[in-house]
Amino acid sequence: MKNWQVLLWLGLNCMAVQPALAHGAKIEYGQAAAIIIRATYDDGTPMAQAQAVVYSPEDPTTPWLKGMTDEKGEFTFVPNKDVSGNWDVKVRQSGHGSIISIPITEGLIASEEKPEIDRVELLSSNSDLTPLQKILMAAAGIWGFIGTALFFSRNPSSHQKSVRQ
Amino acid sequence: MHIPDGLIPPSVCISGYALTGGMTWYALREIKKDSNPQANIPKASLLTAAFFVSSLIHIPIPPTSIHLILNGMMGAILGYYAFLAIPIGLFFQAVMFNHGGISTLGINTVIMGLPAIAAYHLFRLRDKVPRNRQFWTKVLAFASGAFALLLSATLFAAIAISTISPDLDAAQERNAIYLSLVSYGIQAIIEGAVTVMLIAFLEKVKPELLNI
Repeated sequence: MKNWQVLLWLGLNCMAVQPALAHGAKIEYGQAAAIIIRATYDDGTPMAQAQAVVYSPEDPTTPWLKGMTDEKGEFTFVPNKDVSGNWDVKVRQSGHGSIISIPITEGLIASEEKPEIDRVELLSSNSDLTPLQKILMAAAGIWGFIGTALFFSRNPSSHQKSVRQ
Repeated sequence: MHIPDGLIPPSVCISGYALTGGMTWYALREIKKDSNPQANIPKASLLTAAFFVSSLIHIPIPPTSIHLILNGMMGAILGYYAFLAIPIGLFFQAVMFNHGGISTLGINTVIMGLPAIAAYHLFRLRDKVPRNRQFWTKVLAFASGAFALLLSATLFAAIAISTISPDLDAAQERNAIYLSLVSYGIQAIIEGAVTVMLIAFLEKVKPELLNI
C-alpha cells in the first residue's frame, strides 16, 4: 500500500468516530429529594414488576418518566424541583392498577400535617383500613342487603292487617 | 377483574354505561313478565350480599391471589335479576372498598353482567333434559359458573388489551394479561365448584328457588 493511501484510510477512520479529545471521566454527586411509591394490591401483596409512569404537572398527558416497580412494589423517582404542582404516578399490571396525585412544591411533598414525609403509598385499594374496619363495613353492607330481603319477604297479609288497624 | 377509575379512556366508560343502561332496560322488561316480581327480591338481595363480600375474600394462587366473582352463580339462580343485582353489588364495592370505580361501574357491569345472563340461559337447559335431571343440573351448574367466569375474564382481557395507553410498554402489559388468564382458568374451576355446591344444596332444601 502506498503511503498516501494509508494516510487517507486513517483520516477517514478518524472522521467516522466521535472525537474524544480528553479521556478522563468525571462523576459528580449531589443530594435530591426522591419520592418513593409503593404499590400493593388490596390484599397487601406488592405489585412487583408493574409498569410505573410519572406525569409532570407541566404536561399531564405525556409521560415524564417510565419505569418498573421492584419486588417490593416500590418505585422511586426524583421530581424536577423547579416544577411545583400535582405529579401523577400511574402503576399498572395486567389491567389492574391505580393512579395517584402527589402535590409537590420545590421538590418536597406539600402536606400541611406532615411536612417531613417522603413516602407516598399508592394502593390499588384501601389498605389504610384495618381488617376490623373492613369486616365492620362489610357486615354493615350485608345487613343492608339482608334488611332488604326481610322487607320484601314480609307476609303481605299481615302487612295489610297492620294497615287496617 | 374490576377495572379501576382512571385507567381506561372516557369513551369506554361512557359506552359501558350506555350498554349497561340498555341491558338494564331489557332485564327489567324480562322481570316484568313474572307474575310476582317482588317475590324474587329477597333471593336477589341475599345473593347480592354474597356477591358484595366475595370480592373481599382472597384466595392465594401463586403468583397472585384471586377473589371470587360468583357472577355465574348469580345468573344461574337469579336470571335477569342478576343484571340488576350486579351493578348494586359493584356500586357498594366501589364506594366502600374502592374496588373498581364509579366511572367504570358501567363497563364493569357489562364485564360481569353479560356472562351472568349467558350463564342463566345455559342453566335453563336443564328444563330440556328428558331424564337424569339431578345429574344434569349439577353439570350445568358447574358449566354456568365456570363459563361465566371465563367469559368475564375474556371480556376483561379484551378491554384491558385494547385500552393499553400508549405510555405503557404494550407488549409487556399484554404478556401480563395473558399470564393472568391462567389464574382465571383455575378460578373458573373454583367458581364452578361453588356454584355446584350451592345449587345442589338448594335443590335438596328448597328446589322451588331454582325455578325462576
